[in-house]
Amino acid sequence: MAGKIFIAIDRLTLALDKLSAKIDLWIPASLQTDNRELTEFVPYHAGMVPILDRQTTLPPKKILLPQVETLLRFEHRKDPQNPLKVSVSLDDKSEVRPALVFGARPCDVKGFLTLDRVFTNGPYVDPYYLERRRNTLFATLVCLQADGTCFCSSVGSGPADTEGSDFRVIPVDGGYVVDALTQKAQSLIDSLGDTPTQHQEAQARQVVEEASQHRVGDLDLTGSAEAFRKRFANDDYWQEMTAQCLSCGICTYVCPTCYCFTITDEIENMRGERLRSWDSCMFYQYTLEASGHNPRPSKLNRYRNRAGHKFSYIPEKYDGLIGCCGCGRCIRSCPVSIDIRQIVGRLKENACESE
Amino acid sequence: MRVNKFLNNPYLPELATVQEIIQETANIRTLRVSLDDKEKMSEFSFRPGQVGQLSVFGAGESTFVINSPPTRKDYLQFSVMRVGEVTQRIHQLNAGDQIGLRAPLGKGFQYEDMKGHDILFIGGGIGMAPLRTLLLFMIDNRRDYGDIMVLYGARSPQDLCYTYEFQEWKAGGVNLVLTVDSEFPGWKERVGFVPTVLSEESPSPHNRIAVVCGPPIMIKFVLFGLKELGFEDRQILTTLEKRMKCGIGICGRCNIGSQYVCLDGPVFSYEQITGMAQEL
Amino acid sequence: MIETDTMQLHKLVEEALPELDTMIGWAAGEDALHTTPIFIRGAKSIPRLIWSPFCAQNLTGYLVKPPALKPADKHKQIGICVKGCDSRSLVALIQEKFITRDRLRIFGIPCRGTVDWRKVMRQVRLSHVRSAKVEDNRLIVDDAGGTHKLNLEDVLARKCLRCLYPNPVVYDVLVGEPTVSRIKPEDIYRDVDALEKRPLEERLAFWQSELDRCMRCYACRNACPLCVCQEHCIAETRDPKWLTLRMGIPEKFLFHFIHAMHLAGRCTECGECERVCPMEIPVTLMKEKLNKIMEEMLGYVAGLDPTAIPPLLTFNPSETGV
Repeated sequence: MAGKIFIAIDRLTLALDKLSAKIDLWIPASLQTDNRELTEFVPYHAGMVPILDRQTTLPPKKILLPQVETLLRFEHRKDPQNPLKVSVSLDDKSEVRPALVFGARPCDVKGFLTLDRVFTNGPYVDPYYLERRRNTLFATLVCLQADGTCFCSSVGSGPADTEGSDFRVIPVDGGYVVDALTQKAQSLIDSLGDTPTQHQEAQARQVVEEASQHRVGDLDLTGSAEAFRKRFANDDYWQEMTAQCLSCGICTYVCPTCYCFTITDEIENMRGERLRSWDSCMFYQYTLEASGHNPRPSKLNRYRNRAGHKFSYIPEKYDGLIGCCGCGRCIRSCPVSIDIRQIVGRLKENACESE
Repeated sequence: MRVNKFLNNPYLPELATVQEIIQETANIRTLRVSLDDKEKMSEFSFRPGQVGQLSVFGAGESTFVINSPPTRKDYLQFSVMRVGEVTQRIHQLNAGDQIGLRAPLGKGFQYEDMKGHDILFIGGGIGMAPLRTLLLFMIDNRRDYGDIMVLYGARSPQDLCYTYEFQEWKAGGVNLVLTVDSEFPGWKERVGFVPTVLSEESPSPHNRIAVVCGPPIMIKFVLFGLKELGFEDRQILTTLEKRMKCGIGICGRCNIGSQYVCLDGPVFSYEQITGMAQEL
Repeated sequence: MIETDTMQLHKLVEEALPELDTMIGWAAGEDALHTTPIFIRGAKSIPRLIWSPFCAQNLTGYLVKPPALKPADKHKQIGICVKGCDSRSLVALIQEKFITRDRLRIFGIPCRGTVDWRKVMRQVRLSHVRSAKVEDNRLIVDDAGGTHKLNLEDVLARKCLRCLYPNPVVYDVLVGEPTVSRIKPEDIYRDVDALEKRPLEERLAFWQSELDRCMRCYACRNACPLCVCQEHCIAETRDPKWLTLRMGIPEKFLFHFIHAMHLAGRCTECGECERVCPMEIPVTLMKEKLNKIMEEMLGYVAGLDPTAIPPLLTFNPSETGV
């Protein structure tokens, strides 16, 4: 359907203003004013200028999976007739508002495809994630800014990927051609911009065509799931690969496909909440059992599990889906420059060499 | 009271009330609970070996095997060892207190495949808890199973659980062999570590399935013993334990390779275990 | 000269390697602006060792964080490359007996400062960095967009601009020529002073807004060679429970200030905490403030004298400044 508009660069904030009147809007922006390289997705306020020329430091993951969220509230109540009797009342009410994320990249949205499988396609469905997912739209850029650490093409995505997106935002001369891909998107796109000229449409087609052909990253992941299984018990390999790791957890926090969480109760007097909060498989406590036993006591075990989870276990469980979106954030943010491409890429190399 | 916004919210526990508490040993307590919603309680069905996430609101949740069999549903039983934040609070509960329960979770024992076999239960300490549910289930369906032997050991007579039921087990057609690690005044049963007594008893592996649960060191040596007696990996079952949070295969932490203990377990055969990533 | 220093380093390590169990140094990272720690056991890996203004990591943490390196052979040493700042961490670790001096073969490298890649990106949006080098006080970077020349002082890490100890304070062998500090001793607390001049409300607002960004990833804690609580950190223990898992300002304040307090008089301002923070929070500032108090009240500067004991780890009845 012909749901295309052109938004000129100098009319972008106006369009976003209009959009934000209809729906909660998130854009990539710089946190605070002074002099920071840091960018992430923030709620839009009138007049804000989105930063669309670079991948954000933090992905939009927190929009669908907040870092901390209340799963349920509980309250202890004493029976006035019998003060020794305390009863509990529970409630899981939560409010989800429809939202639109403008300016995500294909890698960001690809990350959600893994989360979708885990949170909504298993034997149990996570209603908190599902409700947010159903109520959130994504206007995804055609990405022209892949850099040396990106490898989205290696994981089944690419700079023009629109899987999971509602709009495609195509950079052209002087602005963006925005293409509504879904019904919901259609209903929002009116009056945000002008009908694109023939020239703009042609340019948009060309941009998409070139981006679709462009292969980002040269990592070849075919057979990696199997190579990982073969390599699992080779402690020397993992020792070498993880020697620099600080077990700091940055990679898991900036990763669009990392979703591991913990559930804890926090109580003050008679009332409290059960919270779900981000956890990291890179932390020692992650698998620490009450008895004191820890099946993953060292960073070697923990990093191996992380690599295995993304490149072997998730593909095994979900028809070959790779649990990584190739955004390269883990590489860029790692304080010791651990490169997951190396670690997974060399799995196969060594598997071929005779020991 | 339970206000439920999401239909089928797997994170929202059912409210249950503690009916009875039995102090098994110095640090193990058994809770008998029943769901507050009477209809749900009468409809509650589960397989022996499935687990539940017990909530003490304010402290958190912890995973325990449903200790009672599906054939006896006056209550749901859980045996809890006091080791940490949540179990500490569980040990402070009294009859009449309300808790939360998310159950049944996980896969239980494939008892259908065990029919017609001789069964050998080997338990150590609190390890008897997951075995009890299957044991009682089999006693209640006695004709379906052959010879049932229970080898149950603990450090001392005071560390044995379910002592008040031993007569009932024997009356149910079970060959019960009890042992403690060393001599104790008044103790008239066997003396010796479980793996040692196992070798002494020397049960035949023919048509027999062994179900083992206990401290890791005991399991290790029992495994050697069973292999020496000629048991194959597929004849040996156990329940694995891991730190668990969601219990529904989402939070990611209880995995062993691509298997989740909360979804694919906690019951596993040794054949399955040897095929898994070795990080127990 | 950087290139000759690297060659000299290779030669020295090659000579020492038979007596070393492991050699810890830096190797190339994912691009020319980054390095990664390398653990060398065989001579064939020596060519990967580099020394450059991009060697930002403080390698001393690997001597103590689990699994701490333990040479299988009691008679072998661990070789380690340290810049001036890193060498002070070594002194601190020796003071507190985490490591003994005789187990170390210290390759000390005088340093003119390390480049903060984020500062570079703020000036030029780089893509596909091909090469980077420092020449005549300028950083010259080649990327897909061409060649860029930046003023070195604009891209050095904050800690480097206030560094009083560019030459290692402890070493077995010096690689390269000693150099001079960029700053005068009376100016080293200028960042703390600038903040202190502001009224209380502004300072509170500053820290609230900075710490609001904190994700509790604990990278700052894990990167710190002196942060020794390891797996018993107050931020994560549930028994006793000091912090909830909420992402509130109170929780973050508590974690950061307790962490800073645990380092008072011990922190050698190696700056790793600030470098690793993905949210660009100036966390070293807090420790600088506490160290300033230590220096003013007790005349103590961390990480200089291996025989000294950090003031908060000892008790001196004749202290009068407190």
